[in-house]
Amino acid sequence: MSIVTVQLGQCGNQIGHEVFSAICSDVRGTHGLCSKKENESYHDACKERFFSEEESEVPVARAVLVDMEPKVISQTLSIAARSGYWKYDDRSHFCQKQGSGNNWANGYSVHGPRYKEVIMNLVQGEAEKCDRLGGFFTMMSMAGGTGSGLGAFVTQCLRDAFPTSFILNHVIWPYGTGEVIVQNYNSVLTLSHLYRSSDALLIHENDVIHKICAQLMNIKQISFRDVNQVIAHQLGSVFQPTYTAESGLHYSRNPLGDLMETLVPHPEFKMLGLRNIPQMPENSLAYSVFSWPGLIKHLRQMLIANAKMEEGIDWQVKPPRLGSSVPSSHSTNKPLHFNTSIANLVILRGKDTHSVDLGSFRDPSLYTSWLKPQDAFNAWKTPRAFNKYEKSASLVSNSQFLLKPLDDVVGKAWNMFASKAYIHQYTKFGIEEEDFLDSFTALEQVISSYTTL
Amino acid sequence: MRRRQEQQQQQQRGRVLSAAVGALCRALPPRARPAPDTLRRARFDRPQASLDFWRLLYALLKQIHRGKWTESDDTDNQIRFVKSALWYYGYGRPELYQLPSDGSAGSRELLLAFSWLLHRISLLEQLLARNRVKTGDETSVCTCEDDLLNSQKSTTEIAPEYELEDRVDVRYLQWLNGRLRFQWQSLHAQHQEQCKLLHKIHLFTSGSHMDQILGHFSVTETDLVRQPENYKQLLQLLESETMQLEAFLEWKQLEPVYWQWMETVLDNMAEEGNMCESQDAHEEKSGLPKVTSSCPWADSLTGQIDRLSRDLMTLRDQLQKLVTQRKAAWCEKVKTREEELQKEGFSATARKIQESVELKLLDLTYLCAPKKNKMHGSCRLVFRSKHPGSKMGFHRSLSKEPVSAVSATEVIRELQMREASLERELKQLQEECRQRLDEIAEGLDGVICVSP
Repeated sequence: MSIVTVQLGQCGNQIGHEVFSAICSDVRGTHGLCSKKENESYHDACKERFFSEEESEVPVARAVLVDMEPKVISQTLSIAARSGYWKYDDRSHFCQKQGSGNNWANGYSVHGPRYKEVIMNLVQGEAEKCDRLGGFFTMMSMAGGTGSGLGAFVTQCLRDAFPTSFILNHVIWPYGTGEVIVQNYNSVLTLSHLYRSSDALLIHENDVIHKICAQLMNIKQISFRDVNQVIAHQLGSVFQPTYTAESGLHYSRNPLGDLMETLVPHPEFKMLGLRNIPQMPENSLAYSVFSWPGLIKHLRQMLIANAKMEEGIDWQVKPPRLGSSVPSSHSTNKPLHFNTSIANLVILRGKDTHSVDLGSFRDPSLYTSWLKPQDAFNAWKTPRAFNKYEKSASLVSNSQFLLKPLDDVVGKAWNMFASKAYIHQYTKFGIEEEDFLDSFTALEQVISSYTTL
Repeated sequence: MRRRQEQQQQQQRGRVLSAAVGALCRALPPRARPAPDTLRRARFDRPQASLDFWRLLYALLKQIHRGKWTESDDTDNQIRFVKSALWYYGYGRPELYQLPSDGSAGSRELLLAFSWLLHRISLLEQLLARNRVKTGDETSVCTCEDDLLNSQKSTTEIAPEYELEDRVDVRYLQWLNGRLRFQWQSLHAQHQEQCKLLHKIHLFTSGSHMDQILGHFSVTETDLVRQPENYKQLLQLLESETMQLEAFLEWKQLEPVYWQWMETVLDNMAEEGNMCESQDAHEEKSGLPKVTSSCPWADSLTGQIDRLSRDLMTLRDQLQKLVTQRKAAWCEKVKTREEELQKEGFSATARKIQESVELKLLDLTYLCAPKKNKMHGSCRLVFRSKHPGSKMGFHRSLSKEPVSAVSATEVIRELQMREASLERELKQLQEECRQRLDEIAEGLDGVICVSP
């Protein structure tokens, strides 16, 4: 069950490379803490998912790299090949010389249609190499021009060409005080278009990851590479093989399908947030001891209080009392800072996962009224440790995590739009005011749906 | 002298009969194989044979309907199942349905029913076809309009209980719908994978098979190459199947003797004052409908028949109304046209009218044309590289027809046509819904309806 990754734009390509790197080093590592047989199954499952067997000695990543500038792609290709442990297919990339100038309309209306055939041919090639196509994983940032505009267009093309495949978009939420002035326009347009074609949007906020680097990883001069590595670690902890059913005898062969089914069946709720615990510098790992009850307790509070990492959690936030309120569609009884979930997925990796008690996540008060915990909560486990962490837990959550950031971005974009700032840059390439309005309407609908949980 | 001849003849017949019965029993599948003695005891209506016979019929009918094999089903349920199945097939002897449900009596009736099934639904042939050793290359084809017999009611997940609430949140329904869609997509992907891998096997083993026409290995054969230790199991299965087939051939030769024997059984029963077999089971409806509770496929069939007859009646009424309306309108038109025609030239207009009518008739005849033979059943996939289109062979192992092949492109084309017509129907229904929504929205104040 293979996932085809489509790396779009500068951000998408850099992160994509780090993800494959992290996955590969995890699989090669000898810190699995499990039996040899288990390790081999893990290895095989991971290889089937992300790499293809070809005549070359090193595994070849199942990926298509797309960018409008040549620099990042050539860097990515060469760094990967130099590692000696894996590489990209030399033919699976596409780039031009011009760039998109951070203009969403340029990416969507100009580059998209112009290069659609070439890009889709590359994707089709990768898809045909798979014995079983498990879906597409696209990586992009919302703020720029290529990743966002071209990315939205490519997602649409993927949906048209593969109507029955799963499509997961990994989206980088830009820094609040980002460098690109029109990043909010780009974000609004990207999100609204992706919402139509994609099955789920898995979102990483730059601000959050930056804080993790600063406070948890103790990095003084934070570079993009550090941020990308944290993101790669978090993604790897979700997409490396796991057992999905309680009595699963073999690693799940349908990671994207399982993810979609547990988290995003409802078409209005597609925004997923990701939390991972513990997170610390590599050289501290050897001196740290973890206990599952502690990890689970922290993770749960991170969910409830909408905390971004395991430090600075607000322990005052508590779930609302059940039974005293009649179930209704308006959450008038919920405390203000409480994060209501629709569905949660917890992934446990490492020692003693079979004995972990996840009852606290099955508390009905965590969830919205129309979904019971047996539908809303799932857990995947594997005894095989990930990336040298003896125990690690990840949470993929379809909840109000992203409500406030979304509201902020839409608000700012609307203010700019009201004064018609920079609109001409978009209308120049064919994105009219009406398209903006449609996007705003769509996102307002999403915000409203998430608010009335 | 004559008596000795008669005796010899009788002994001869007796030997032939026991050979026939023996062959019949050997031709039945291993899990449902009676001892020839059971049939003999049943002929004399021995009560001890009754329970065995019920169990035998249960096992055989379950195999045909591919239901879940539950040996733990108690006697009562087994008997009820057999009665329902026999009623479904149209077995009309009321004595059978009146047999006690503890299985203590009636072995002769059961023998009759068993023989009736043998003949009526080609029981042996069906069982032999179902129990063939699998090649792994099987796929099912169904271009039928409607899925009648294949609907298996497997256990579904029990929906969570909503305490006495009549209303369910629509978001939950949307959630469930989404899950269903994703599960279907996963299934689709799995199917595609199976096809791809099968293609690989066929391609890579081309030219290796002894059978020149086939040309490539099947999945079972390829598996054997990879894991030779499994040959013992496969050999056992093949030997068992061969034995059954040989027994079947023997049975076919000796069959007439068996039917003569059954006739004597019937004669005996008639002498004992039983009513003769009635072909029409519709009169005896009092006890029978209860019996269908364990026969879910029969329920759906009767429901469909009821619906169909109701639809036909309403359609007929509507047609009659339409026809009278059209006739009246037509008469008016003809009258006015007649007057016009008096003025213009007649032959040119007459020719035009004739042409347009012919076109319309052609359309109608095409629509009413009898449907081609719909394909239904399982086939073995065979790879043909010379004709890139043809990929299927339809094997009928037991009949003497030559192997008939259906090409995959044909099936694909038919399915595509069906898909196109279903899509048109869907679009039409969506339009109707949209119009209805718009009407409703117009009635509401201050509401803007944005239709999907």
